[in-house]
Amino acid sequence: MKKLEPGMAYDTNKLNKLFAFLSILFLMIVVWVFLDDYIRPWKAVQIEALKIKQTKLQEKYELADKDINKEKLAELEKELAAARADQAEKRLEINSAEREIFKLQKFLKEETITNGILNSKVSATNFKYEQAQLKHDHNATEEYYSMLTDYKEKFAVSKDRMKTYQQTEKELKRKVFNLRAGVTEAEKEISKIVGTRGLIKKALDSTSMGPIFAIRNAPFVDYLDPTLKIQQVVIESITDDRYFQQVPKVDRCMTCHTFIDQAGYEDQANPHKTHPNLDLMVGRDSPHPMKQTGCTTCHGGEGHRVNDLGSTAHTPQNEEQRKEWVEKYNYHPPHRVAQPMLKLQYTEASCVKCHQGVEFIPGATALNEGRQNIEKYGCYGCHKIPNFENKRKPGPSLEKIASKVSKEFFKNWVWDPKSFNPNAMMPRFFEQSNNNAKDHPEFAKKNVAEVNAIAEFIWDKSKPYRPFKKFESGNAENGKSLVTTVGCMGCHGVDGEEEMSAKIGSYAGPYLSGTGSKVDPDWLVSWLKKPSHYQEDTIMPSFRLTDTEANDIATYLLSLKNEKFEKFEFEPLDKKLRDEMLVTYFSAFDTIDGAKAKLSKMSDRERTLELGYRSVGKYGCYSCHNIDGFEGRGPIGPDLSEEGTKPLTQFGFGIQHDVEHSRDGWINAHLENPRRWDIGIDKPFKDITRMPNFELTERETETMTLAVIANSSEKVPLAGVKRLNADEKIVADGMKVLNKYNCIGCHQVDGERGDILAAYEDDINEGPPRLVGEGHRVQFDWFHYFLDNVYPIRPWLTVRMPSFNLSDEERNAIVSMFQHKAKVKTLVDRSNVVDWAPGERQAALQMWDELACASCHSAGFDSEVEPTAPNLYFARRRLRPSWIKKWLAAPDKILPGTLMPSFWMDGEAASEVLDGNTDRQLDAMVKLMYEFGTEKLPTKETKFWSKQ
Amino acid sequence: MKELINWVADPIRSFPVVCVLFYFMMKYYRVVGTKKFLAWSLAVIIPVSVWFAADPNFFTIITLPDNIPIIILIILVGFLQWFTFYKAAINDNRLDQGLGPIEGLPENREKVWSWPNLVYTELFMIIAATAFLVVWAIVFKAPLEEPANPTWAPNPAKAPWYFLGLQEMLVYFDPWMAGVVLPGVVVVGLIAVPYIDTNPKGNGYYTVAERPIAMWGFLFGWITLWLYLIMVGTFLRGPNWTFYGPFEYWDFHKVVAEYNINLSEFLWIKWLNSPMPSNMFVREFLGIILSLAYMLVLPPLTAMTSYGKKMIEGVGQIRYYIFIVLLLLMVSLPIKMVLRWLFSLKYIVALPELELNL
Repeated sequence: MKKLEPGMAYDTNKLNKLFAFLSILFLMIVVWVFLDDYIRPWKAVQIEALKIKQTKLQEKYELADKDINKEKLAELEKELAAARADQAEKRLEINSAEREIFKLQKFLKEETITNGILNSKVSATNFKYEQAQLKHDHNATEEYYSMLTDYKEKFAVSKDRMKTYQQTEKELKRKVFNLRAGVTEAEKEISKIVGTRGLIKKALDSTSMGPIFAIRNAPFVDYLDPTLKIQQVVIESITDDRYFQQVPKVDRCMTCHTFIDQAGYEDQANPHKTHPNLDLMVGRDSPHPMKQTGCTTCHGGEGHRVNDLGSTAHTPQNEEQRKEWVEKYNYHPPHRVAQPMLKLQYTEASCVKCHQGVEFIPGATALNEGRQNIEKYGCYGCHKIPNFENKRKPGPSLEKIASKVSKEFFKNWVWDPKSFNPNAMMPRFFEQSNNNAKDHPEFAKKNVAEVNAIAEFIWDKSKPYRPFKKFESGNAENGKSLVTTVGCMGCHGVDGEEEMSAKIGSYAGPYLSGTGSKVDPDWLVSWLKKPSHYQEDTIMPSFRLTDTEANDIATYLLSLKNEKFEKFEFEPLDKKLRDEMLVTYFSAFDTIDGAKAKLSKMSDRERTLELGYRSVGKYGCYSCHNIDGFEGRGPIGPDLSEEGTKPLTQFGFGIQHDVEHSRDGWINAHLENPRRWDIGIDKPFKDITRMPNFELTERETETMTLAVIANSSEKVPLAGVKRLNADEKIVADGMKVLNKYNCIGCHQVDGERGDILAAYEDDINEGPPRLVGEGHRVQFDWFHYFLDNVYPIRPWLTVRMPSFNLSDEERNAIVSMFQHKAKVKTLVDRSNVVDWAPGERQAALQMWDELACASCHSAGFDSEVEPTAPNLYFARRRLRPSWIKKWLAAPDKILPGTLMPSFWMDGEAASEVLDGNTDRQLDAMVKLMYEFGTEKLPTKETKFWSKQ
Repeated sequence: MKELINWVADPIRSFPVVCVLFYFMMKYYRVVGTKKFLAWSLAVIIPVSVWFAADPNFFTIITLPDNIPIIILIILVGFLQWFTFYKAAINDNRLDQGLGPIEGLPENREKVWSWPNLVYTELFMIIAATAFLVVWAIVFKAPLEEPANPTWAPNPAKAPWYFLGLQEMLVYFDPWMAGVVLPGVVVVGLIAVPYIDTNPKGNGYYTVAERPIAMWGFLFGWITLWLYLIMVGTFLRGPNWTFYGPFEYWDFHKVVAEYNINLSEFLWIKWLNSPMPSNMFVREFLGIILSLAYMLVLPPLTAMTSYGKKMIEGVGQIRYYIFIVLLLLMVSLPIKMVLRWLFSLKYIVALPELELNL
């Protein structure tokens, strides 16, 4: 060991070395700090984007280059050269003129200075003069006045000099311009040809990653004016909930999704891809431009983060994509983000945040489908779901059930509806994973007792009903054809027409299967004749069937039997279990002994009815069916109004560890089998999950999940939401009625729905009329009358417009809906439409013959020909003149595929009359229609539909 | 094996184990303080740690950015404790032989210049420490989380690591005691140490034998009551502050059967089989008497023992009583813990009317 100096514990040399080492280490760490701060993943993405842009521009450049007419360019260049040579000869002249301009500019500048000084002096003196005036200082006033006058004079002189100079300059410049005109002209011509290429070249140059790019984006300097930077939009009208404060939304998604709002990058992979629906979303001219709507408003996620795929709360669509992301991007799900991004297939859920109060949202197909499914299965019966409040109960009334089906049928049906009718919308409550006879024999036995008691209770409450018609046997064959032609299938699927039923996919009424094993024949005939006789508030309309027709249909429906189901015998009530269950009910607020004492006071019948009453309440039968004694009871299911933002911790996953830990994962699994959460959990009979199994398809669960998570507590400020205007509000209200009575099951309204039209693919004109601009087409007083007094307008149709049991409000809602949808809200005075000009009537009649109108519109004109077009006698009361004119001009534009020929195609006259003037011809025809038309409306008593 | 470790790690069992280990460590510090012991310990601890870390659940817990300081703390404290014993063992052996401590040897008493010997080396440490902190900050990003969401609080909600011992105390004491009184006493007690401990032995050199009370008392408070509780709070307390073994998955839904009963309820309902008196002081009289006896009667009693008399002789009455009160307050923590574990005792004195629960 080396000897140390006195007073030293260490060797100074060693200390210095150590210091040097530490200093260098520290320096390296400082560099590391800066690099760590500088290197951001999104910069790499932006450089990648820049390269993509370069290749795209290069392609465009080459294309533009190819487009240039090379021969013409060479010619023009020759011209230019000639012009230049010509100009060179005049060089002396040009040079002298330019020199003069140069000299003149000195004087101009000098004069500008003089002018400026004088101008300011005038202003300053003027101020002093006014002040002196104000103070009544006479001497000063005079002094300043003379100064002011002096300055003003000088200023005027200077200004005048200036004008002279300017004039001279202008003349000189014109001279130069004229001398150079040849060259300028030639250059202009050339730039016309190569202009686009030049612009592309400029754009291409701006993407170059040369030294300037490097300097602008270098570390330390890049705070000045970098080209690689975080891009963002700030949206004041849509806010993010930061729990204690609503803050404007900041979306930085476009930092990596570089071309999301630019067309032309559709072929790129993410993140550089163009938005797939640019016309509707994000695009500058779309209804949802990026600057106004942002990205996370619809997609969800943490829009202000740019760290990586995971922290921004991207959510993979499925397991496959998740794996791909993990592999490709080292994806980690975000940490504690309450609202991660919606999976791609659920994005439409966000539409509801801003578009509220409407039945269907155009463009949101999956969401609409989900809502339709909710409507179909009646989820809203038990759950509160926004937009489904105040709907009628989804199931039929049970208030008079005893006269419709047998008790034995009822019990077997309640036990397992799908075994009777595989298409039943009534779900299965029993034989599920938490109460099946195999795993839970005791529960299943108790269920049997409950179903027995429910039947007894319902029958006890059922009011007497006597069908008003007797069933007489009819022609089943004819009945079947009536079912398929009259329009039943707009609401019902039918056994025997499975293919057609699947095609139409109607759901407003039950699927007609095994009807013969179900209902009382007399009841059926009466129901077909007049449904409201049995149930006042039914949506089933009357088709104004004759007795024969009703009997024929009934015969067909009664021939549909389910013999296997008929043989089921329901187990009888186990009284011991019944009493046991009642004791459990009673002991909720009493001791067991007290409950038993209460039970002992009840008769056998009372006990059964009590259990029935309790069970109807327990399973919520009353939520879907009208049952006497349950009026005003609240729905039994949880409120789903904010399901889309319900904290994930509040979802009970039980021990179902294979269910994806997300809201949509839970809801999907729940819809698939609602009882799964009870598996492996010890629960007493009274507490097991009661949500029934609807046996939905995968597509149904997915769309319904979407429609459920669409209901969130996220509030978009008023300024950001779509507010319905007065027209839209009325349309939305009317749509509710249209949906309630399933008008859209038959009629296509401005392109929406019209399910039954699927059955008329061969000839759409045989189906129910499509309603396009209906509010413009018909007079609303007629419409209002017609809804209550249906009469045939198109006599060739076999499908019938039924007579609905509409309330006044509903009828008005429908009529105003169409009026406001078409934005035609006025009534046309029919009395002064027919005002013939001289010769006009003659011309109209001539056209009537020429165009052979009566060959199709034969009703009332030609009794020999079966009509294939509407009865024109009704046109006067029904149609608006302006619509008739529009229709005649281009029927194909209003109803594509219509049989009505376009006589005045593209504004061409259809005839020689009236000087071949299309407009006048159309007017004449409108007047003719009105002249033919009757004022009188047919009445209800008229029997229209009998074929005889 | 993992099941067994999970079972032992529960404070009910691990606290006595730690106390026993502490006893052996202090008693046989001369064995502990040898290089051979250190080598053997490392030979055992390193493979065991690797085996522990191989468990995914344990690995998840120790690699949380929040928990890394605790790992560093364990390693540092372990080494420094060993180092103390190593030095002290050499000195105490020398003292037994009548020689002075090593630090007292003439060659160790030579004086050196503060520049550069002290100031320069301090600068090195500043640079090295800064470099270390910067690297730490880069590698383990600050665990800043999402904006606070009142409907979704973090679970478990943990205090900063240095307060986790206090948070663990909340399991056994009323917040007022665990959050205010006891930490206050700790601070006051630490300030008071130089005034109470007037023993000049051990100044400038390592020793255990010459100051047994100071070493045993302080190290018990430091290692078993402070560091052990921090480790429990960090590694073994999961969602809902429920205990989870080191190899256990932090299942959010884990439920532990715990129903605690006040001493007064034991007294009146269980033992005397009578209703609770309506007067709160009568109701709590047993707890009040016991608590008062603990704080007021025990100090004079200890003073009468031969050990107490010897101490009073050495430091005087006032220092002795302050010391004994502080010691009793410190010991009240393990006493309460043991009572909780053995009898599910909630509070000895339960006066929620006065917000006074002991």
